[in-house]
Amino acid sequence: MSLRSFMDGLEPHFHKGGKYERYYAIYEMVDTIFYTPGKVTVGQSHVRDAVDMKRVMTTVWWCAFFPMLAGMYMVGHNAIEATLALGAPPLEGLRGTVVSLIAGYNPDSIWHCLVYGAVFYVPIYAVTFVVGGIWEVLFAVKRGHEVNEGFFVTSILFSLTLPATIPLWQVALGISFGVVVGKEIFGGTGKNFLNPALTGRAFLYFAYPAQISGDAVWTAVDGYSGATALGLAAAGGVESVMAEGITWMDAFLGNIQGSVGEVSTLAIFIGGAILITTRVASWRIMAGVMLGMMLTSTLFNLIGSDSNPMFAMTWQWHLVLGGFAFGMVYMATDPVSAAMTDTGRWSYGILIGVMCVLIRVVNPAFPEGMMLAILFANLFAPLFDWSVVRANVRRRLARV
Amino acid sequence: MSDSSNFNKDSIQNVIVIALVVCLFCAIVVAGSAVALKERRVENKALDKSKNVLIAAGLFEEGVTKVEDINTLFARFEPRVVDLRTKQLLSEAEVATVEQQLEISFLDYDQRKAAKDPALSSALTDLEDIASINRREHYSLIYLLRSESGIDRIVLPVHGYGLWSTLYGFLALEADGNTVSGITFYEHAETAGLGGEVDNPAWKAKWPGKQIYADHGGVAMRVIKGAVDPNAAESVHQVDGLSGATLTSNGVSNMIAYWLGDDGYGPVLGSISG
Amino acid sequence: MSNVKEILLNPIFNNNPIGLQILGICSALAVTTQMSVAAVMCIALTVVCAFSNFFISLIRARIPSSIRIIVQMTIIASLVIVVDQILGAVAYDISKQLTVFVGLIITNCIVMGRAEAFAMQNPPGLSFLDGLGNGLGYSAVLMSVAAIREFFGSGSLFGVEVLPLVTQGGWYTPMGLMLLPPSAFFIIGLLIWALRAWKKDQVEAPEYQIGQHTAMSHS
Repeated sequence: MSLRSFMDGLEPHFHKGGKYERYYAIYEMVDTIFYTPGKVTVGQSHVRDAVDMKRVMTTVWWCAFFPMLAGMYMVGHNAIEATLALGAPPLEGLRGTVVSLIAGYNPDSIWHCLVYGAVFYVPIYAVTFVVGGIWEVLFAVKRGHEVNEGFFVTSILFSLTLPATIPLWQVALGISFGVVVGKEIFGGTGKNFLNPALTGRAFLYFAYPAQISGDAVWTAVDGYSGATALGLAAAGGVESVMAEGITWMDAFLGNIQGSVGEVSTLAIFIGGAILITTRVASWRIMAGVMLGMMLTSTLFNLIGSDSNPMFAMTWQWHLVLGGFAFGMVYMATDPVSAAMTDTGRWSYGILIGVMCVLIRVVNPAFPEGMMLAILFANLFAPLFDWSVVRANVRRRLARV
Repeated sequence: MSDSSNFNKDSIQNVIVIALVVCLFCAIVVAGSAVALKERRVENKALDKSKNVLIAAGLFEEGVTKVEDINTLFARFEPRVVDLRTKQLLSEAEVATVEQQLEISFLDYDQRKAAKDPALSSALTDLEDIASINRREHYSLIYLLRSESGIDRIVLPVHGYGLWSTLYGFLALEADGNTVSGITFYEHAETAGLGGEVDNPAWKAKWPGKQIYADHGGVAMRVIKGAVDPNAAESVHQVDGLSGATLTSNGVSNMIAYWLGDDGYGPVLGSISG
Repeated sequence: MSNVKEILLNPIFNNNPIGLQILGICSALAVTTQMSVAAVMCIALTVVCAFSNFFISLIRARIPSSIRIIVQMTIIASLVIVVDQILGAVAYDISKQLTVFVGLIITNCIVMGRAEAFAMQNPPGLSFLDGLGNGLGYSAVLMSVAAIREFFGSGSLFGVEVLPLVTQGGWYTPMGLMLLPPSAFFIIGLLIWALRAWKKDQVEAPEYQIGQHTAMSHS
């Protein structure tokens, strides 16, 4: 008996009136893992491409592997170097066992660094996936909608925005908040107006600031303290970043402290290039974010300030420090929470770029502004679209 | 209402009558309660302040010290007026002159209000204003704890800007005018869990015993970033930073630097501890 | 007598001023980080609401419609000032933490709303009960929010330690978000969700229905 006929044989039980009617979402989820759904679009929707939600989401998911691998390597590399420098003992417990079984503590070995990073990152991702997945299925069953592939993307992006040392229970709480309050409350994928991954991160940022910001969380070695490059910049400008021996190229390649996915701008750009070529992510949004950031940072450069060193930070540095590149490529382009019209996408992107630099430079409390800028712009995306549509209607009415 | 059949509630007379009667009645009630309760309110306010002075001096333990004892304990303190412009501890006669001139009484002196009152405070220049307080009051009420052997503690009101808000508190010094015996903040709006940790008893417990002034003079006391290395020569002037709250920590450092510096109580402390 | 019971108890779950009418939210955000503070606020609001309803109802037949809002405001404001004075005299610490929010009861929509909607049409006894009931409804929500915020945010209830904090040598990492005002928004939202899941008749009709865009292909 083939799998298809086995699945088909099961299907009636999950239909209306069937024994397991309530669990249709679970059947559908398993079924679509193996087969393309037989459903086609009808009615008044626009079909623009052969690509479907599943393929879109899977592309983003694969593209997120570039910053993920680069991030794991960098986490491992920094941590092993810090261990050697501090003379700290090797990892204990399960993590230590895994590292000593299949790798070691050589900072020059790519494999060793990757494994060290993986023993921190993989559990984060696993917890994100399992806990978030449970919420997804729960709501799908209760609300009668399907389990959406969008969660693949939400889960990997959420986990990549966290520092490697974050306690796993906080990961579970964060993704729960992101999925439930950021998405399911409003009716699930497609009806949420905030980016769920960022909603979850924002929750953790305000709920447990000590474990997601500050100096002690970025390097996965106990007792090692070091600020992120952006944190250094907030305190003393680019000079204090350079004083730590960090060059622009280091920051671009990812040899800096930060959340797992945000460190390597190069890896992010590789993923971004694929997303743009496959037209999965909107190049207009990315260009808008870039433009807004460049304009605002240049403006601050020109104004200058005696007391605030961030005024002098150039756009090249803004680009490679903190979560700017990651947010621009992976977060701002979330198709659900971003603007849908082309003009709207430009304005939405520019707003993100402007707000990000504003928060980074002017706000005294938050060195990083990308997360808050994107969430802020998410709120305005529908307004941009509405204005664009209204303008279009007016323009065409005038022609009648 | 028996006359409701021919009673017109919207007539001009009725509008005026009702307005007058309601206003009069309400005014009497409000004024009555304000007068009747004024004494209690003033007393409470004074008690609250006394309590904070006691906390800074390490004489009040939450849940142990009884409210009734606050006044007895506080009575051991001698309030003194400092003229922050001339850096002089005013004598009783001078206090009386000031009170007469400015028509104020130091018995119910509201120092925080005074710091905003142009008649009782002066604006600071950017260079002077290291604690970011904009204006500084002319007169400050400090408290001296006397014992048989002389002065035991000096409690100074301090304030300064942290990250989001001005922190108000008291700093208590030993008789030498240099060793810290305690610090407390009674009002601030810093981020809970980060800057808000200034209220954490464990952090406040790191203060007693620290020295404000360096050997060669000048305020050396600072809240540093990260943990204090107990072997460092400077450790006697340092307190652990509040983790994740660099700006609040800096705010506290600035506050100490300002209020114990030459612009603040610095010169007065010399004259008190001799 | 069932009427009396209904007037008193309806506002608690069936017609909750915060839960159903979404009134009086502002103070709910500001004073709910500690249960003791929230409790004092609840008592203050309940007292003001009950007595303002009572006094307004007492003179309702004589209040000219042209100045009725002003008359109501004068009575409410006087009561609020008296309550504020009393708090300052008997519960100074808590009144200091409530700061302006006791004063802001004057502008609390629940008090004004009940005066205008109920007390102007009903006898003093019933009006008093209505004010009391709405005050209790407000209190029910406020105390639930405060319980959640204090428990998760500070690990205590009414100031008594329940979960020992990490910063004091225990194991519980307090959730800082709970001490920030937005958390009250989330909690009130979740409470309303729970309330409407329980009492289905409070659910509003959807504004529009999104149509199906897919169907099984017949290939």
